[in-house]
Amino acid sequence: MSRASQDYKSAVKPIWCPGCGNYGAMKALTQAFLDLDIAPESIALVSGIGCSGRMSHFFNTYSLHGTHGRAVPTALGVKAARPDLTVLAVGGDGDGLSIGGGHISHAARKNTDITYLLLDNRIYGLTKGQASPTTDFGHKTKTSPFGVDELPMDALPAFIVYDATFVARSSTVHVAELTELLKAAILHKGFSILHILTPCVTYPVFDARTLKAALQPLPEDHDRKDKMAAIVRGYSTSPVFTGIFFRTEKPTLEERLERQAQPFAPERSGDELDMLRKVLYDFS
Amino acid sequence: MSSRPFRSDVNFVVRIGGEAGDGVISCGELFAQAAARTEYHVFTYITYPSEIRGGFSMVQIRIRDWTIYSMGSRVDYLVVFNQESYDKTISGLREGGMVIYDPDTVTPEPSETTRFFAVPLTKLARESGISGPGKNVIALGALGHLFDIDPVVLKKLIRDRFRHKGDAVVERNIKAVETGYEAGKACGWGQRFRLKADPDAKASYMMLSGNEAVALGAIAAGCRFVAGYPITPATPIFETLCRLMPKVGGKAVQMEDEIASISAIVGAAFAGEKVLTPTSGPGLQLMGEQINLASMLELPVVIVNVQRGGPSTGLPTKTEQSDLKFAIYGTAGESPRVVLAPSTVEDCFYQTIRAFNIAEIFQVPVVVLTDQSIGYRKATVRIPDFERFHFMPFHDLIEDNPVIPNPAHIDVVSRLEPTSEELADYKRFRITDSGISPISRPGTPGGQYLATGLEHTEKGHPDYTPENHQAMTSKRFRKIEVLSNLLEKNPREYYGSPEARIGIIGWGSTEGAIREARYLAEQEGVLVRHLHPKIVLPMADRRIRYFLAELKHVIVVEENYTGQFAHFIRARFGIRPIEVHKCQGLPITPREILAAILNVARISDEQSITRL
Repeated sequence: MSRASQDYKSAVKPIWCPGCGNYGAMKALTQAFLDLDIAPESIALVSGIGCSGRMSHFFNTYSLHGTHGRAVPTALGVKAARPDLTVLAVGGDGDGLSIGGGHISHAARKNTDITYLLLDNRIYGLTKGQASPTTDFGHKTKTSPFGVDELPMDALPAFIVYDATFVARSSTVHVAELTELLKAAILHKGFSILHILTPCVTYPVFDARTLKAALQPLPEDHDRKDKMAAIVRGYSTSPVFTGIFFRTEKPTLEERLERQAQPFAPERSGDELDMLRKVLYDFS
Repeated sequence: MSSRPFRSDVNFVVRIGGEAGDGVISCGELFAQAAARTEYHVFTYITYPSEIRGGFSMVQIRIRDWTIYSMGSRVDYLVVFNQESYDKTISGLREGGMVIYDPDTVTPEPSETTRFFAVPLTKLARESGISGPGKNVIALGALGHLFDIDPVVLKKLIRDRFRHKGDAVVERNIKAVETGYEAGKACGWGQRFRLKADPDAKASYMMLSGNEAVALGAIAAGCRFVAGYPITPATPIFETLCRLMPKVGGKAVQMEDEIASISAIVGAAFAGEKVLTPTSGPGLQLMGEQINLASMLELPVVIVNVQRGGPSTGLPTKTEQSDLKFAIYGTAGESPRVVLAPSTVEDCFYQTIRAFNIAEIFQVPVVVLTDQSIGYRKATVRIPDFERFHFMPFHDLIEDNPVIPNPAHIDVVSRLEPTSEELADYKRFRITDSGISPISRPGTPGGQYLATGLEHTEKGHPDYTPENHQAMTSKRFRKIEVLSNLLEKNPREYYGSPEARIGIIGWGSTEGAIREARYLAEQEGVLVRHLHPKIVLPMADRRIRYFLAELKHVIVVEENYTGQFAHFIRARFGIRPIEVHKCQGLPITPREILAAILNVARISDEQSITRL
């Protein structure tokens, strides 16, 4: 049975402004699901707050639009409880780097098998144009009327330092490339982060044309196992590299939990009440 | 009135005090465990400093031939390892009580009403080649002799306790317990107390702390996903579950903080599991936003809050009942939740099962409020009778049974899932009479839906229209109204004479102390009725009004400064109770409550008191 892109679309109408980069991310994600032939009912899409947080509304999946900054630990709970599901978390630069920034290093350390889409437009769009952790130095916003006087955060090298097992960057101006990277991230066993640059049309910090000019795929010979090379290329601003910077394999949280429970499988094979009795008698 | 249960023949309190690191608590726990393997009931109270070493540490063990309701008001046997613990606890010793002390570290004040016995703990420990901590096992041996506990029982306990540390450690400790037993023999106690061994005791009772009882209740209720972050005094719940979850096919994950912990259980609840996170006051505060979200998404989550002294980091190792207001009112906007308060160690087991049942049936967050004193207290608990365990499908439920697990009838209920007809046009948040709508499990085709914290339609789609917000708020709260109506049918939760005109209301861990105070008051000729709701939000209003209507005076007892439950009762029922607060980080004692009752009796008129 072949699916159509319509199967992944919910009845909720997108709230994004016309021309918003997020449409590109939505299109790429739909195409990735289609190409990988994942049933909509076995996808859990968890999102945070902000324009990017609305992504979960528009998919006909098990979608959870939760609180600001908590998409990653929430998605971790979904996946740990139900490893059979394809679990994705979606957040923006504020959601993922400001309020929820503390969670990413731990999700990476645990290597939970989820895919995290960090949609970076370098501005707070839904609250109408305040500075975010990635807004350019000197850029004027309503909360930085004299220009942002802090340096923007370089998130991607940080993700590599956190030991995330899959770190990639793409943009919504190259939907085909984004689709391929999304597929690789979803297929990756472990915590995969995709840093997605997406222009905001209403409070622009950068536009599609300058983004296109700045982007360049990683060199053919980039060694995805070379952490130092990944960090160095991650810091580069001209060009801004796209592609898979770093990829490695290590046991996932879900595998480790499964391994812990495994030795006790014989004890659980009987009647549920017998199992409870055994646990209780430990205490008598 | 002559054969009141409190007038039992065996009823005494042993208190052991020393410096943290002396092994005082493990000495007390081993002694309690030995006593629990007799025909008697055991009840412990533990207090310790927040530092790992140094500071005053104490364990108190009450042993009785009848159900024990509280830690007791006075001490019969005092064992002191150092001068500080002697100085701090001697005033609690009853007249004619006994002090066992280490002559190398304690100089007791001579007293005519106290019997003193020197047991050279430090010296004996040194001689038997065990360094400092060995003192506690010497003391255990001496206590074993005093109470005539078979050395075989003591040695078995030592073996069970130290097995994981290797044979050499086991042997050294067995030698220490023998040395202590001999030292006890040399004391010439005079009359010794016999704790008879009962071969059946092990089969019908287990010794549990309140925290362990919560963990076991969760497992019995079907909880298979736990996420947590260590915080005193809730940590033992998490530790126990980390150890047990793999055994029952469940999962326990330590997260980076409390916000991540509750986020993870919200995710796991969405994924279809029964979930729990244990925490204490400051952690509950951090979880506030996600509890609110769970309420809005109508997801069943259980949060166990083991209260400690506050505010802020406050008194991490001491007890208090001061998170009630936060548990009830700590929310942005109006989001329903349920708050339970177990009152005994055994109740911790059953109320935790009840918390899961309520969460699953009504798809709401349930906060279980225990506290340090009940969490760390160990007591003999009847082993649950699993023949009476029923795993119930949702549809068999509701009318008059409900959600009340007790030793006689334990139901375990899971959430309502949609039928295939309902999935044809699935409305996750369908408006129903009861407010409960079927919840689909990820993986179910056709069950896909959007769970958003934004106000939403029956389908889950965002909708901010005035009519929709009113209808949805009403739907969410209707579930609580249904629960409240069910509670009216519960067996009564109040005790005492119908003629009493003085009523006393408490919640949580104070039940035993209040109950004992009631018996003591009756001895003084003052009749009291006692109400102790296990569900503090919502309440069975009609039944409580009925209770209140029969009384002239109502006392509300609680361990906090501002009278949080009293305020709640006052606001809800329009009465003005007499408030009794204790805010010392210590559990209230029966005698403190008795004093309050007698004060009220004194100021009230003749009619309110029935002389016996």
